[in-house]
Amino acid sequence: MNPVYIAGAGMTRFGRSEWSLMQLASVASLAALHHANLGDIPVDGVVVANMGAARMNRQTALGSALVDQLALYPAAAESVENGPASGASAFKVGVQAIASGMADVVLITGVERMRVVNGLEGTDFVSSLSHPEAEYIYGVTLPALAGMFARLFMDKFGVERKHLAMVAIKNHANAAKNPYAHIQQTVTMEGILTLPEAAVNNPPIAEPLHMFDCCPVSDGGASLVLVSETVAAKIGGPKVRVAGIGQATDTHTVHEREDPTDLKSVRIAAGIAFDRAGLTPQDVDVAELHDAFTILEIAESEASGFFPRGEGHKALERGETQLDGTLPINPSGGLKAKGHPVGATGVAQLVELTWQLRGECDARQVKDAKVAYACNFGGFGNNVVASVLQREA
Amino acid sequence: MSDNVYGMKCNSCGTVSYPKHAVCPNCRNETFIDVVIGGEGKVLTFTDVYALAIEYETRYLRLAIVELDDGIRVTGQLLDGEPKLGMRVKTVLGTVRQSGETAIQGLQFVSA
Repeated sequence: MNPVYIAGAGMTRFGRSEWSLMQLASVASLAALHHANLGDIPVDGVVVANMGAARMNRQTALGSALVDQLALYPAAAESVENGPASGASAFKVGVQAIASGMADVVLITGVERMRVVNGLEGTDFVSSLSHPEAEYIYGVTLPALAGMFARLFMDKFGVERKHLAMVAIKNHANAAKNPYAHIQQTVTMEGILTLPEAAVNNPPIAEPLHMFDCCPVSDGGASLVLVSETVAAKIGGPKVRVAGIGQATDTHTVHEREDPTDLKSVRIAAGIAFDRAGLTPQDVDVAELHDAFTILEIAESEASGFFPRGEGHKALERGETQLDGTLPINPSGGLKAKGHPVGATGVAQLVELTWQLRGECDARQVKDAKVAYACNFGGFGNNVVASVLQREA
Repeated sequence: MSDNVYGMKCNSCGTVSYPKHAVCPNCRNETFIDVVIGGEGKVLTFTDVYALAIEYETRYLRLAIVELDDGIRVTGQLLDGEPKLGMRVKTVLGTVRQSGETAIQGLQFVSA
């Protein structure tokens, strides 16, 4: 495989947006293209990641639409829908195109505009990824799956609600330093857990998960410019290499998994990504994990190989995953506070990590970050893409 | 009764799977017979979910994954009891979702 580099990264601020789907996609794309400073080198391909535009925005064939917005004709274009893992899947498609020699410059743009529908409709749309006969008809939603997962996981490993709150507090604090984050507000243990008012501030969403355990519903776009080694050399600037990607699937229903607390797809995807990179979890300086629910940050930090099984919450308690800890997790604020425009999320994780590896993150910069890891968690763990990025001198 | 919930039993290795697949997850055989899913079992996990999808007018739904005594696991609605991990339940059939004029039937759990 030929080496692949990320030459540029850009995104819109996440949150509730008045912009159309294509405005979100275009603004993010232009930010990444300007960041890459391609000059007159043409873009060969465009891959758009999105989950719900056909339903929520009544628009399809987003790859072609984005090429038109950006006047990139006759660049090749496609759209990738892979549930909440759409973003990293689109990234993988772009990496494959360059690694195989079929393209030299590929633009990856993840975009979602969800706030245009009401909450019930939005929750129902995401729930449509669950099993139609064995889950969806019962009223299963993503928060419901996360609640059932959390109850079992917490019981098994002694994780308490205070640990979940620690994830929220950390990620909100990081997001407060991120101008692109949906929620730039810090929260405290008192405010969301221990004071009597916490019962009002932080109502249950899917017991044992409460509001501050769940990501917000966001609009937003995020983009990356991928280039071949030849193009990377031509444009100069900091070199961030795609060191390895791994992907793995698991059963559609959560109940069919031998151990429903075991995020097997994360474990396998991470293993493949690290093998391909020739690196180990111990080499990672900064990670973005898919914390659509706080419990998932803890579970993924174990399944990705950073901490032994059942000990993620202990590392969290020791402060290891804080911005100034030994392995900062979700410096961007994560899905929890940066926001979760579903199709954009997997791309946005890699945008943050690219900026981190280039030293461009200002107040939330992780010092001397050289190796970065992202886990984009699709379905409820039935399709996971793990990526390892490395800064070259 | 056609309202039953069915899984599949593999004609080759005898593994029962629920929900159905086109291929046996255990031995990759492609022929099966239908088997009715239900009976007694224990609650593996549960939640009271307030973040509901369209078509529900209740404030919350109590959902559970139950491990039946034959080893098959099912997801469904837990109707009564003070839910606890490991509590004994049995399956009943009932309306689990109202989609327009259609009442969708499925598995519900009551204390055994």
